[in-house]
Formats: sequence, structure tokens, C-alpha cells
Amino acid sequence: MKEQPSYTEAFEELQEIVSEIEQGDISVDELSDKVKRAAFLIKTCKNKLTSTEGDVMAILRELETGEGTGEKQD
Amino acid sequence: MPEKLNDRTIFTLSEVAASIRKTLADRYTSTFWVKAEMNKLNLYPQSGHCYPDLVEKTDGKIVAELRSTIWKEDFQRINASFMNVLHEPLKSGISILLCARISFSPLHGLSLAIIDIDPSYSLGELEREKQQTLEMLRKEGLFLSNKSLVPAVIIKRIAVISVQTSKGFSDFRKVIDGNGWGYRFFYMLFPSLLQGEHAAEAMIAQLKRIEKVRHHFDAVAIIRGGGGDVGLSCYNDYNLAREIAMFPLPVITGIGHSTNETVAEMISFKNAITPTELADYLIQKFHNFSVPVQRACDVIINRFAARMKDEKLRMLNFARYFKSVTLANLAAGRGNLQQEFRVLAQQTVRLFQVSRANHSLILSELRKNAMSEISAGNRQISQAGFSFKKDVLSLISHAAWRVDGNLSQLEKAARRSLSADQLRLEEAVHGLRQQTTRFIAEENHTLNMIEKNVDLMNPVNLLNRGYSITLAGGRVVRDISGAREGAELKTLVSDGEIISIVKNTHKTEQP
Repeated sequence: MKEQPSYTEAFEELQEIVSEIEQGDISVDELSDKVKRAAFLIKTCKNKLTSTEGDVMAILRELETGEGTGEKQD
Repeated sequence: MPEKLNDRTIFTLSEVAASIRKTLADRYTSTFWVKAEMNKLNLYPQSGHCYPDLVEKTDGKIVAELRSTIWKEDFQRINASFMNVLHEPLKSGISILLCARISFSPLHGLSLAIIDIDPSYSLGELEREKQQTLEMLRKEGLFLSNKSLVPAVIIKRIAVISVQTSKGFSDFRKVIDGNGWGYRFFYMLFPSLLQGEHAAEAMIAQLKRIEKVRHHFDAVAIIRGGGGDVGLSCYNDYNLAREIAMFPLPVITGIGHSTNETVAEMISFKNAITPTELADYLIQKFHNFSVPVQRACDVIINRFAARMKDEKLRMLNFARYFKSVTLANLAAGRGNLQQEFRVLAQQTVRLFQVSRANHSLILSELRKNAMSEISAGNRQISQAGFSFKKDVLSLISHAAWRVDGNLSQLEKAARRSLSADQLRLEEAVHGLRQQTTRFIAEENHTLNMIEKNVDLMNPVNLLNRGYSITLAGGRVVRDISGAREGAELKTLVSDGEIISIVKNTHKTEQP
């Protein structure tokens, strides 16, 4: 549970768990863990929607120095 | 007038210029229409006059070049008609159809004095340019480049190309910042001209800046609005369109106009048309992500609750079933136990009855014996009584006989005799009782002895004690004569029989 999934991963994993739960082929023992995991994923996803990302100062610094790596981050 | 010097006629420069002017004026008496490319408008804001450079190109090479003038009043009229028809002011770099006359000034030389420019010619020319831009992009395979980018699941970080004071940018911010779902966006303004002559270059420059820091962004939004429909031909600019098409991030346009779609809008990742719709589009992307997440949340909660309820019910049913089965088993066990108990009780009772019967048999036997003894005693007693009575009577009669006799003597004698008899009687009764008890005890002893003897004689007990009985041919073997060599012997022991063959026999030496 320590890994921080990207929201795409979190979203896909969440959908997987939901479909598993919907199909009802999870044992009660597993269910508890799955629900815990899903709660974590939901929180991750919702955080992505409501958290602030982007650092104007960093962008300006990179624009000035021309040190933009040009690498895409998720 | 020209001077004459050694056969030569010499003109002054002004005379030549005047001559040229006169010739031109005579030759070009009217105005005429010319098509040309206006390389530069050269508007002098102070005077309001323009001095456009006109060129003609063949295969990109200039094959003709002429200066021209548009006087302030003409320029204002022409510009107004351009704005009306093209939604563009007169600007450099377009093809025009102009109405002019030849003008020659001794000071400024030859030029075309432009009286009018036909805006509809330029309109077609602009459209042609637009088509050319599209065709080139298609040819280069760039038309779908930006559209085929895979955008981030949620477009959260946006580089905005706009103007701080733009009404469109303000509309955009209003929607984005005021969204009621708590969605947080990050946007950063890269200010640029958004219309007119230098807009394309300015936007390209900002796109290049954004590209440098593109890892900070999910998309670029070009936002314009509130500026009317003027000066939008920059969005058909090939260089700008190419820059957008090849941009590594999705470019979303919200240029806000009511004219035909521009090339930049066509090739962008998404044309949201207006800044507000652009903002709505971004929020919709959030919804697309958020709604399934919320649904997932609901599904999980519902399913989990339902599942838990089911399991609880199952457990409850199982517990009930378990209880009922256990109770049934218990009841059955208790029934069996009671049955066993009853059988046991019945058997015990029967055993008691049998032994009681035996006892009462013995008792009644004993009683019979006792009774016969007692009745014999009684008989003796009554006989004694009878003889006593007879004696008494004889005595009485004897006494009566001697009434006058010594009554007191008689009485004394009678009393003595009575008490003696009484004593004798008591002794007899006592003796009888003792005899009876002894008799019963002896009988009992005898019975026990008999039982013991019988028990001792039971061959089973003998066998139990380790003795065995050997049979040969069904007859008991008592000595070695009963067991010849080779005969089959059957030896009975406590829990079965042993079959054996006689090997040999020998007589025991008697001591």
C-alpha cells in the first residue's frame, strides 16, 4: 500500500476491483483487503482532482535558465 | 530650355523629370486595376499615409517591384471596407487587387498612387491561403498530429496562451476557479497577441517557451474572446498551424468567434469554440474521471454492505441449522438413553422378581416347616391344656367332692400347679422358638454347602481353573489307554477346543 500509483493506474485498478466485486467472485476474506485497497485508490483519485499541482516559480526558473528537461511527467 | 554645347543638347535633371512626367501623364490618362502582393504596408501613423511595397513573385522570386502610396483618406476608406468584408484590416503580406494610376514625382520617382483596393479579391486570396495551409499540413501528414495525442486522464495543468485583460481569459478563469466540485486546476498565462498582424509570430514564440517546460503541463489552451471577429486570419497562418499540429501537448482552442473555423482550430486537439466551453470541457474531463470513481465508491459500499448482510444471514441460517441438528441429535440420544434405561430397569425388575420368587419359595418352604413345627407345638400345648383342664376339672370335681375340705389347701395346690404349668409352657415355647431358628440356620447352611459343591463340580469352572478335558472319538480320555498313537484328540479348554494328534504315550511312574 506504500506505492503511490499514478491516477491512471489507480483508476484502472479501482475499476478492476469494482468489476470483481460486482461479479461477486471475491471471498469474504479477500473482500476486506480489496475494500481497503479500493478506499485507498478512491482517496488517491479524489486527491488528484482536488490537489494543487504545478509550481510557477519552478517553471519560471526553467524558462529563464532553459533547463527544461522536456520530459513528460504524469 | 536645354542648352546647346558643341552639337550636344544638354537637359537639366528637372527637365528630364518633367519630360518623363509629361510623357507618363499623356500615356496613362486613366486609372487601372493591378494585382500585386503587398509586401509591406508602411503606414506612417503621424501622417496617416501609407507607402506600400508592391511586388510580384514567380516561384518565390521577386520579378517586379514598385513603390506605391495610399493617401490618408483613401487608406481610411479602404481599411473600413476591408474590416467590413474580411474582418481584417489592411495588412502586410496579402495579395490585393488595387486601382491606381501612375504617378511620377521628380523628387520620389515612379510610384503607383492607390485609389482603391477590392476587399473581396483579398478575401478569396485569404481563403486560398487558408486552403493552402491546410493542403500543406495534409501533405506533411500533420493534420491529425495533435488530435492523435493521448491526453492525460485529467487535464489539470494548463499553459494558457492569452492576454491578462482578455474577456475570454476572464470567462475561462471564472468557470475553472469557481467550479462547484472542488476540482483544482493549475494554469499559467503565457501572454501573447491573439489577433492581427504579429499574433501568429507571438503565439509561436510562446508555444516554443511552453515546449521548454512542457513536463509541467498537460495541455495548452489558446484563449481569446471579446475582441470581435477581427484579425483572425493569423489562425490560418501556416507556421502557427504547423507549430500547433506538431506540439507535443494537446492544444485546445477557445478563440471565440462566429466566422468559419480557422486552421488552428481544425488541427488543434480540441476546438472548444469559446473560452467558457473550453473550461467546461476541462471540467467534463474531471467529471469523466470523478464520476466513475464516485460510482466505484458507491458500488463498493453497496456491494460490501450487501455481501456482509448475505454472509451474516448465511451464518445465522447455518447457526440455526446447526442448533436444530444438534438439538435433534440430543433428543435422539436422550430417547435412546431413556430406551436403554427402561430396558435396564425392566431387566433389573425381572431379575429382582426372579430372585424374590426364589426367596419367597425358600421362605414359604421355611414358613411351612416352621408352621408345621408350631402347629405341632400348639397341638402339644392344647393337649397339655386339655389334660390340665381335665386335671383341673377332676381336681374341681375332687374339690367339690370335698367341699368341706381344705379349700385353701386346694386353692394353694391349684395355684402351685398353675404356676408350674405356666413355667413349663413358657419353657416349651422358648424351646420351640430356639429349635425353629436353629433349624432355619442349619437349612440355610446346608443350602449354601450344596450350592458350593454344585459349583465346584461344574466342569466349566474346572476348565477355567486350567484343567482340561481330552476326548478321543467322543469319549473322555482318563488314561493313556484311551489315546493310541496317531489318534486325533479333542481337548476342551475354557474358551474352546484344541485338536491334536497323539505322538506317543508313556505311563507315569507311581510314587
